Amino acid sequence: MKKILTNTKRNALLLFSILALAGIASCSEDFLNVDPEDVAVGEDFYVTEDQAILAVNSMYGNLREFNTIAFGWLALTTITSDNASKGSVPGDAGFLDNFDNLTFTATEGTINAYWIAQYQGINLANQVLTNVPLIDMDETLQNRLLAEAKFFRAFHYFNLVRAFGGVPLRTQVPVPGEQESPENLNPPRASKEEVYEQIVADLTDAAQVLPVSYSATDLGRITKGAALTMLAKVQLYQENWQEVLDLTAQVMGIGYSLTPNYHDIFTIAGENNSESIFEIQAQTIPGDCEASNSQWAEVQGVRGQFGWGFVEPTEDLVNAFEEGDERLDATILFRGEVTPEGDKIIETASNPRYNQKAYVPSSVTNECGYGKDQNIRILRYAEVLLMHAEAANELGMTQEALDALNLVRNRADLPDVETTDQAELRDIIWHERRVELALENGDRFFDLVRQGRAGEVLRAQGKNFVDGKNEVFPIPLQQITLSGGTLTQNPGY
Amino acid sequence: MKKNILLLLMCLLSVCPLFAQDMITISGQVTDSTSGQPLIGAGVAVLGTSSGTQTDVNGNYTISAPADGTLVVDYLGYERRQVPINGQTTVNVALTISAQQLEQVVVVGYGTQEKRDVTGSISSVKGEEIARQSSQNAVSALQGKVAGVSITNSGAPGAAPQIRIRGAGSALGSSDPLYVVDGTFVDNLSFLNPADIASIEILKDASSAAIYGVRAANGVVLVTTKRGQAGEQRINYNGYVGVQRVTNKLEMANAQQYATLINEKNGSELIRSDFPTTDWFDQILQTAMIHNHQVTASGGSEKVTYSASAGYLNQEGIVKGNDYKRITARLQTDFNITDNIKVGYNGIFNNYNSTDIPGDIFYQAFVAPPIIPVRKANGNYGDSFDFNVGNFANPQASLDWYNQESNGQQLTGNAFGEVKFLKDFTFRTSLGINYGINEYRNFRSQDSLTSVQYASRSLLTQSRSKFSSWLWENTLTYDKTFGDHDITLLLGTSSQENKSEGLTGSVNDVEYRSAANLYLDLGDPSTFNISNDADRYTFLSYFGRVNYSYQDKYLLTATLRYDASSKFPSSDRWEYFPSIGLGWRVTEEDFMQNQSIFDNLKVRASWGKLGNNNIPSSIFVLPVSTSSRYGAIFNGVFYPGRNITETVTSSLFWEVIKETDLGLEMGFLNNRLTVEADWYNKKTENAIFGLTNLGSLGLTGEIRGNYATFQNRGLELSAGWTNDISADIGYNIGFNMSFNNNEVKDIETGNNAFYSGNLPVGGYQVSITRIGDPIGSFYGYEVAGIFQDEQEVAGSAQPAAAPGDFRYRDLNDDGVIDQRDKTIIGNPNPGFVYGINTGFRYRNFDLQLDIQGVGDVDIYNGNRNVRYGNENFSVDFFNNRWHGANTSNAYPSADLTGSNLDPNDFYVESGDYIRIRNLQIGYNLPTSLVNSWKMQNFRIYLNAQNPVTWFDYNGFSPEVGGSPISQGIDRNVYPLSATYNLGVNVTF
Repeated sequence: MKKILTNTKRNALLLFSILALAGIASCSEDFLNVDPEDVAVGEDFYVTEDQAILAVNSMYGNLREFNTIAFGWLALTTITSDNASKGSVPGDAGFLDNFDNLTFTATEGTINAYWIAQYQGINLANQVLTNVPLIDMDETLQNRLLAEAKFFRAFHYFNLVRAFGGVPLRTQVPVPGEQESPENLNPPRASKEEVYEQIVADLTDAAQVLPVSYSATDLGRITKGAALTMLAKVQLYQENWQEVLDLTAQVMGIGYSLTPNYHDIFTIAGENNSESIFEIQAQTIPGDCEASNSQWAEVQGVRGQFGWGFVEPTEDLVNAFEEGDERLDATILFRGEVTPEGDKIIETASNPRYNQKAYVPSSVTNECGYGKDQNIRILRYAEVLLMHAEAANELGMTQEALDALNLVRNRADLPDVETTDQAELRDIIWHERRVELALENGDRFFDLVRQGRAGEVLRAQGKNFVDGKNEVFPIPLQQITLSGGTLTQNPGY
Repeated sequence: MKKNILLLLMCLLSVCPLFAQDMITISGQVTDSTSGQPLIGAGVAVLGTSSGTQTDVNGNYTISAPADGTLVVDYLGYERRQVPINGQTTVNVALTISAQQLEQVVVVGYGTQEKRDVTGSISSVKGEEIARQSSQNAVSALQGKVAGVSITNSGAPGAAPQIRIRGAGSALGSSDPLYVVDGTFVDNLSFLNPADIASIEILKDASSAAIYGVRAANGVVLVTTKRGQAGEQRINYNGYVGVQRVTNKLEMANAQQYATLINEKNGSELIRSDFPTTDWFDQILQTAMIHNHQVTASGGSEKVTYSASAGYLNQEGIVKGNDYKRITARLQTDFNITDNIKVGYNGIFNNYNSTDIPGDIFYQAFVAPPIIPVRKANGNYGDSFDFNVGNFANPQASLDWYNQESNGQQLTGNAFGEVKFLKDFTFRTSLGINYGINEYRNFRSQDSLTSVQYASRSLLTQSRSKFSSWLWENTLTYDKTFGDHDITLLLGTSSQENKSEGLTGSVNDVEYRSAANLYLDLGDPSTFNISNDADRYTFLSYFGRVNYSYQDKYLLTATLRYDASSKFPSSDRWEYFPSIGLGWRVTEEDFMQNQSIFDNLKVRASWGKLGNNNIPSSIFVLPVSTSSRYGAIFNGVFYPGRNITETVTSSLFWEVIKETDLGLEMGFLNNRLTVEADWYNKKTENAIFGLTNLGSLGLTGEIRGNYATFQNRGLELSAGWTNDISADIGYNIGFNMSFNNNEVKDIETGNNAFYSGNLPVGGYQVSITRIGDPIGSFYGYEVAGIFQDEQEVAGSAQPAAAPGDFRYRDLNDDGVIDQRDKTIIGNPNPGFVYGINTGFRYRNFDLQLDIQGVGDVDIYNGNRNVRYGNENFSVDFFNNRWHGANTSNAYPSADLTGSNLDPNDFYVESGDYIRIRNLQIGYNLPTSLVNSWKMQNFRIYLNAQNPVTWFDYNGFSPEVGGSPISQGIDRNVYPLSATYNLGVNVTF
């Protein structure tokens, strides 16, 4: 074979070698332009109507997140209050004791998780609000989707402003690629008033667009009633009584009604009933436990029988119910009791009491864990009546206040209140608000702060409430650090 | 031609006939020409035939050959000799040691080079040294063998160890080196039987590695597998059986101690102190069997050489029920078609089957209260619920419930053709492939074992993933000597595509009859859940290299590589990576000829630039988040949700490593003492780094870009001493040590540090990366002592503390303990690593002892720090804890909650260790006996791997590892184990 190789052929071989070395270059850029595999590419999103709908769905889904409604939420809103203590067994999730005792500091990871969870909800809404207007789609639908996003943005900012006071107010999405100015990327805290102003604006816009109701398949979406009720609550926290009165009156005209039997509200069958204004929809999705991810009920379930056993209703809450108040039995699950659904709460349960509003009967599937089917009741008609009563009383409209209040009391099988003393009635309404909504929507701690008696009430419960400090939570230290000091700390932390 | 092919085929099947001529039997001895010592295992072959043998332990051989033939005698490190037979029946051959024994050939990228000509820092480890260890992974066998290489082993069967060459050079990008097995790029060496390896070369400095440009940022590990040699037919069997036992088991508190601790912690008599103790580690651990068998056949003629092997490994895990089996097979053949044309291939196949255990079983055993029985009196599993201490899984129930089988196959191969032409040119084209499949099947039955371990529906998960890559490389080499000038030029191209895809499906309600009905279609179709993931990326490169030497005195190596990767946006895709290396062999100078101190003295210096693209693909592409958790539920029906939840950087470019290396090589006392030293400075610029997003942006994940600069500086020393005192006695000692110092030079967040090392409780972060300190340093409070009583608390900066809590140092003296008092409390980057490798022989006995260690390194004891509630404690903690005034000023009370969990230096412990890595005693049966069995060699040996490890750390193992920004945090590691083997090695 060696002999066959003539000089010409040898030279040809050299030429071939060089060509082979160089040859690859010709198609190089094509070879290197690899489409990202298995990635839904962002620049293809927010183009179609279907995508606008998918994006709006994400805001609803996000509400089921652990940090949105489980530990972070329960720790800040409920374990801090006089309605519940940490629960479970001593030492278990010991960091939650800091909320029970109000001894948390700025490094508390749960507060940081709460902060991030709210802003993640805000980002999902901002994405919709920034991008959906650019989509060529049905205009009515487009406006409705934007209104839903405004509701959610307001909802999350309300959770922030109640907990922290003024916070960075971000109403646009971060532009990829850091082309934004540092002030835009890293805004300082807006004032509490500026945050409230944004919330009111968003909810006002939303209420104007959202429908009173949807077709059955859309059950669970934000309605006009939800936006109005939320707005009323926001005004309540700012003590804008006239607005509260008007807004609640508007909701009262929509057609909601009280569920005759209080207990039924919190059953699976009672989800989205005629009293319901807004619930976080949760459900076991067979085969998709990632979507069946609400742990709100699981973390509060009877320890050793159903769930983790956190959020133990206090003796003080039990005693707060009047003699004969039907709501006591529907609100608190006692060790050893037999539920109307037939479950016997084990005698060996770690805690004497659990939150019955987070109770799901054992007949319901737990294939993705306990209680994944329990909707979280955020707004319901009874609260509208109580807000109406409170505002009316503040405005001196005693009879209007009593009428609304007694609707709620009568449903609980309690007699009418007849006092016309404004101060006495105020206390009665506050009390009614506590027992009607206990362990349900996380208002109690913030109500006490709003009512100016948090220190007095909570110190009586042995908590270390410091006036002038504990009205708000510390800005998470990690966020202050990340902001390079742009974010400032709340007083006392 | 046809006849040739037939011949080739016959040779392949090892039935190559010898063409009988006047055959005579020749015997003789092969010796060292200076000492006269016999050379054991020298190759003796008949030129032009496939006939060959090896010398025995006395240096003797016997071979049959044509009376007019020529013998070829070969021995590593010696000059090869051809001796005409001329009808003699006794031919003694004395070999001379090759000039300074430095003509040792080392493999470099795309070629080989004589060690004396190398201008960079390359370490070689011979196959024998690797095979001698009972490691199942070749990388693991390198531990303690090579200066500058730090290896962290995992005890899990089949798990790949972590390797760092010259420190951590990347953060988000992998810090793993490039592995090249016979020219094919692979991600790890788990598929390779260490016994198949002929040598491993580690290219440590930029000048050596730069020929692999884009891939070489963290060094290159070149693996050459065994190839057949012309003229030596050999069959070798190597097998061992052994046991593995856990060493350094951490003693946990018993039931009584636990009750004491928990009652102290909670301030009440929560737990009775008379429960019997369950030692959960004893419960889950076992003494595990291991056996390994390997058969290798090799040989060939001038035309064809081959090497084939098959291996079988069966390794039980140290956890009950864990089992790993591996079959490896390899076939390699080279064909010399003409003197100028050569083709060959090499294929390595691997199959493993594993019975798996739950990934967190050690953590479960660590935290499970000892008061929980394995089983209750009624036969049910012991349940934490009965004790009211919180939710704990019963580890035995976890093991029994867990049902997962996994398996995988991998084929790695390479085919090449090589043509020599115009005397000095060689063109080579090589196609490598790497193809593999991994599968697992997990079945969680419908069961209720304890109050926390239950499932109301069964769940079957099947997962398959495959990967494939091809690599096509072409090189043209020109090699020429003109008088005093020796020049080698190399030009090449390289292109590669990598693809991978995984598909995982799950379904509920498959009824279990046997493993035979664990299929997805037998479940409830309404519960199908599928996930799919994939990756693809490509590379394209051009490269060139010049090696030039003048009078063997002045050496130059220069390389240039032009690289592109699809992982970068097209605007920043192409990059040049140059390097240069210079060497001066001082001992070749005239003025050195009259000295007798140095046999070798070489000074070398190199500089080079490397790239790192070991980053995830497409990180510059903004993704849409599609997780189910974004799906909405309306009227009880699930609707998927999607949105943009991340942000990406608009520009992304190469991570660039610039490295300078200065080296010195010396040989003394007839080169019996060799010393090599290297100093390096390796700087990673534009390191790709993930930064935590400001919470108010509301994003998930982190933003990744070119955000940091790191520097690794270090010194490497190695020395070897060989002394063959007589034919009967000899020994060698090797020592290596390397120091590395890591420093963050720049980070995008400026004076703002980057925090990482998240602990799963309390949101604490243990690690900090900031300018001027090592990457991923531990950060927290300094403990000044323990509060002894209320009075001490009252006067302190921590008014909320309780007696028994940590008293932190108020570093800024402002009377308040807060974040401003935190400081660097430890460094998880090893300060130095070292190894001592020795060998002794006396007559037929041989002994090897390898020692290895790590120094000046810290571990964060995460297992001690992370506490949700009433987890178990170690006995060490029980014995030393604070439990009343003046009981301890170092250990806190059992009430590890609140500020006691804030990262502090109590949890930082020294990770220094020293270990007997390997101890082996071998005995070669006498040649006369062995020959009478028709064998060439028969060796039996006893081996102990990792029999003893000394360390102070209060954990299972000081080998922790982790990604550079969060390394050294011990959360759940497989304990250390020792392996004791009895093996035989037989050559026919």
